[in-house]
Formats: sequence, structure tokens, C-alpha cells
Amino acid sequence: MIVAGCDIGSLTTKVVLFDGKKIIASSIIKSKPKPEDGAYEALQQACAIATVNQDNIVYCVGTGYGRKRVPFANNTISEISCHTKGAFYLYPNVRTIIDIGGQDCKVISLNTQGEVDRFVTNDKCAAGTGRFLEVMAKVLKIELQELSNMAKKGNEAITLASACTVWAQADVIKYLNEGISKENIALGVCKSMAKRVGVLVNQASIKRDVCITGGVAKNTAVVKELENLLGVTIVKITNVDPQLTGALGAALFAYQKAGG
Amino acid sequence: MFEEFYTIAQSINNEYIAKVKEQGALCIGYTCSYFPEEILHALGIIPYRIKGLNVSSLSIADAAFGPFICSHPKCLLQHFALGDYSFLDGIIVTPGCDSMRRIDECIRKTAVNLDLPVVPPFFFHYAVPHKITEYSVKWLVEELHRFIDSVSAHFGLSFSYDKLKESIAFYNRLRKRLEELNALRIHYPARIAGADAVAVYVAGLSMPRDRFYGMMESLLSEYTGTALEDRKRLMLIGSANDDIDFIKTVEGETAVVVADTLCYGPRLEVDYVDEEDEPLHALALRYLNHSHCPRMYGGYKQRLAKVVEAIRIAQVEGVVLQNIRFCDLHGAENGLIERDLEKLGIPCLRLEREYGPLADNERMRMRIDAFLERLEVRRLVCERP
Ligand code: SF4
Repeated sequence: MIVAGCDIGSLTTKVVLFDGKKIIASSIIKSKPKPEDGAYEALQQACAIATVNQDNIVYCVGTGYGRKRVPFANNTISEISCHTKGAFYLYPNVRTIIDIGGQDCKVISLNTQGEVDRFVTNDKCAAGTGRFLEVMAKVLKIELQELSNMAKKGNEAITLASACTVWAQADVIKYLNEGISKENIALGVCKSMAKRVGVLVNQASIKRDVCITGGVAKNTAVVKELENLLGVTIVKITNVDPQLTGALGAALFAYQKAGG
Repeated sequence: MFEEFYTIAQSINNEYIAKVKEQGALCIGYTCSYFPEEILHALGIIPYRIKGLNVSSLSIADAAFGPFICSHPKCLLQHFALGDYSFLDGIIVTPGCDSMRRIDECIRKTAVNLDLPVVPPFFFHYAVPHKITEYSVKWLVEELHRFIDSVSAHFGLSFSYDKLKESIAFYNRLRKRLEELNALRIHYPARIAGADAVAVYVAGLSMPRDRFYGMMESLLSEYTGTALEDRKRLMLIGSANDDIDFIKTVEGETAVVVADTLCYGPRLEVDYVDEEDEPLHALALRYLNHSHCPRMYGGYKQRLAKVVEAIRIAQVEGVVLQNIRFCDLHGAENGLIERDLEKLGIPCLRLEREYGPLADNERMRMRIDAFLERLEVRRLVCERP
């Protein structure tokens, strides 16, 4: 039996195909103005990789902000539950999940059964989300993926005074004009990002083991800064792209709902 | 059955007010549930609880209030500035919270700055103490005297204690009806959606109360109720809310708000005014003791106890604690309530939101869905052998 999970986020759309034992294919594409189009494209890509026909997918669960717009979903479940399900499947010792997506950040605490105990999400703005890093990478005229490596080469991080993405952007421009190296600016950006996420993590009482999911989990500089700040080791999910955790959780729910 | 209540609740002016105004009645708006409507009713004036609904821009209010303040009083000011409240003959401003108190100078300043006739002819700052002591009750009785003198002199009305006693008795009867409506929510399964109940409460604050009483009586005699089976039973706590769409967002298709402590609602328990006591003293006592709002100092333990009791009576499965951004009173108290309820094993969800149509529905929906899923898991765990 093949099932699917489709996670439509603000920046990316993800699909995971699951056969009850393993992930048989996955895809990550940029979200489209019409979420339905993105969902279809991501599904097609994943089906092509797995060489399965879309009609063979028995059940699909939609998640993410666009979950109600997944045209082929049989059911929808919030990303909080899906991330929890996915992370617990990949790493059963996890008790706190830090998920940093494109436009939001959540901290979920779970019990030994892998059920959500409590969660907190960022309320205020884009600070502490993938969007913050994206804006800063743009100002530095580098690809988002380069930010982490660049930060690792920095040795004297700049300070971003404001929590606001717009003001921080102005700060970065000021530092560039002053001739500060991009490496030190990138390090400052990652530290500042970690600080913002740290505030949210401290709102939820942190229980070990802690793992990180979502696109920003791939930015090892931010993860390292976060570890320093919180004084905990953060487990990196390596067997699956951490950005797929929500879609994987949706696929696992789909498998359950389909009677698997 | 509820359409009429929705129409009244979801608009600023309505035909019922227009009709009595045509016949010469006066209508006075107020900003806080700590103001005793009974006084206005006794003078034949229609009390109107000012709402902030359906504002699409805060252009004027932002300039007056600045950015770092709760959006609820801002929406009220925007309505005043747009002339939506021109049917009011007066306004009573109460220092419920600091943001609401500031509406006093912001309305007057807006009138001067923009040269708009937004200040109603009668304008009264009605102060309410933040503590319940023998002294503060006495003080509030004096404030009531000051208000009665001011409003009577302004409109040339004569105040009578006998009329006030009749109004107190009338409001107690009205509270009884509200209690009967509330019982439908508490019922297991709930027999009325939270949104419908709130529509009734809000409508009741926006129209002549005698007419509302008649509508309530017909509703209670005709409404057979619906059984909202299998819905997660929620309690809603926090900042002021007159927005029925917000209640609908919280309820979605799988939950029902069976209890709330919201201002604009009957609050948890409907406190009656002692009809045997001297009327002004009785009113001062009732309104000061009506302490579900964190504006009252030192009352946290009692408020928490009432919430816990309501959770028990209404068989609440989860509590949604919301506060409007920059509402420090509810923001801070929600943190305490969450801590204490979670300790008792009652699941809580804390939401910070913007007021009214400016609200970010999708983000809110995600969090509420996740919370309802958490409650679903709890149900399943309870059923596990
Ligand atoms: S929040 Fe409290 S003080 Fe403010 S208007 Fe409501 S009841 Fe009054």
C-alpha cells in the first residue's frame, strides 16, 4: 500500500510517499502562487522518482499552511501534529522539537508515546524564521545555502540590535558599507537568528532529547549557535531531509488512516 | 432563529435603536463592563456597549494611539472618527485598562486635529477602583452620584430611586434569562453553538434592553436546541471580544465553546444585584465584585477558582487563552492561568492575536487545529483499556 503526505508551507511544498516500511520517494519544490499547482507538481515529481502511478496512492494527508488546498488529500492534519509524528518516527527519543520553517517557528514538547504535550509558536513576526535568513542572504548577495558555510568562516560576529527583520536588514547594509567582512556579518546573522529562536524555546520547558526540523535545520551554523545558547545538544536528523519531517508525519498518519 | 441577533451583533447601528431614537429616546455608549447599565435604564436612556467591529483600516486611530497598543480601543476610535457612532448622545469612558482609558483623550484630540464632530454631546470619565475594599465601595457610590448628577443635569432628566429599583429588578430578570441561555451551552452535549450564544449576548448590549428581553423570552421558549455531539468542549478566556467570527474560528466544525470569561459575555456566573440593599450601594458592590477581569488587583486566586469550577461544571476539555497584542492585563494573567491549569492536567492553548478583521485567521486556525488534535489524542488515551 502506498500513501502520501503533502506539506504546503509558505516557501516550499513537500511530498513524501511511504509504503508502510520506508519512504519510497520525496520531493521539495518552491511553493506556487496557487498552492494546488505546487501540490500537483510535487506529487508528480515524487511519483516519477518512485515510478508509481498517482492512482496507486491509497490515501493522502495534507498539512502545512496550505493543507486545505491539497486537491488530492483525503484528510488534513495540522503541521504541529505532523512534525511530531515525523520526528518521533525518525528519532523516538525526541521530547522537544524545534521546527523552523519559512515563515514560522514552533517548539513542540512531546511525551514518551510521541504525542503532543504542549507547543508554542512565534506570534510576532518573521524574526526567527527562515524568511529572516532569506532576507539577510539576499542583502549579502549570496545563496541561502551558502550562509551557513560563510558564517563558519567568521570569527567576530557583528551584533544586530533590532529583533525586527526590516531593521536588521538596515543594520546589515550599514555593516557592509563599513567594510565588515561578509563572513562576520553571516555569523552575526546566524547568532541573531539563534537568539530569537532561543527566546521561543525558553517559553516551552525544554526536555531532552532535542531535535531540529524544518528548512533551517540544514543551516548548521544556526544549529550550533542554538546549542551554545541553550546548553543542549541538538540531534540532527540525517537519515531524511529535515525539511521533509512534516510531510513524512502526514504520510504516517495517512498510512494509519488507510488501515495500515 | 439567531439571524436577528447576528444582524444586530454584527453591525454598529441597528433599526431598533433608530426607531426609539426617532421617538426621542437618548442613547449613550460605554466602554467597559464595569459600568452599571441600570442607571441609564432608570433614566430611560438606552445603554450601548461600544463595539469595534468591521474596521478595515486604522489610519486615524494609529495616528492618535501610536503603534504599541491594543487594537480594540483603536478600532473603537476609528469608528468614532468615521462618524459611525454619530447616533450616540454621549459616551462614558472607564479606565478598565490603560489602553481603554486612553480612548478618552484620543477621541477628543482626534476631534481637534481633524476638526471632526466625533465627540458626542455628553462625555463622562467614569472611574472604577481597582480593589474591593470598604473604602473603594464607598468611593464608587460617590462616583455613581457624580455620574447621576452629571447626566441628569446635561439632559435635563430627573432621577428617581424607585425607577432605579425597578431597573435593578429588570436587569436581574434579564440576567436570569442569560443564565438560561448559558445552561444550553453547559449542557452535555452542548445544545447551542458558542458563536450563537455570543451573538445573543453582544446583540443584547447593542439595542434597547426591554426589546431584547422580549426577544430572549421568545428565543428561550421556541428554541428546542441542537445536539452538538462529539465536539471538543472548549472554554475561552482573555481579552475583550465582540467578534463572533473569532468564536467561529475557534469552534470550526469540530469544537464548541461551552464557557467563556469574556467581557461582552455574561461572564462565568451571572452576578445578581441585591434588591434588598440600598440601590447605589448594591450596584457598587455587584460591579466591583464582578471581578473576572484582571483589571481588579489581588483577585487572581478567586478568578482562577471560578475558571476551575466552570471547567468542572461545563465539562471543558481544553482552554483557549487569547490576548489581543499589547493587552498586558490578559497577556500576563493568561500566562499564570495556563501554568496553573496545566498543573491540574487541563490542556491549554495560548494565542496572541490582533483584534477583529485584522486578525490572521490562517495562522490561528493552524494552532487551534493542533490543539484540537491534542485533545483528540487525550480522548483516545482516556478510552485506552
Ligand atoms: S478588558 Fe476588562 S477592563 Fe477592559 S473593557 Fe473588558 S472588562 Fe473592562
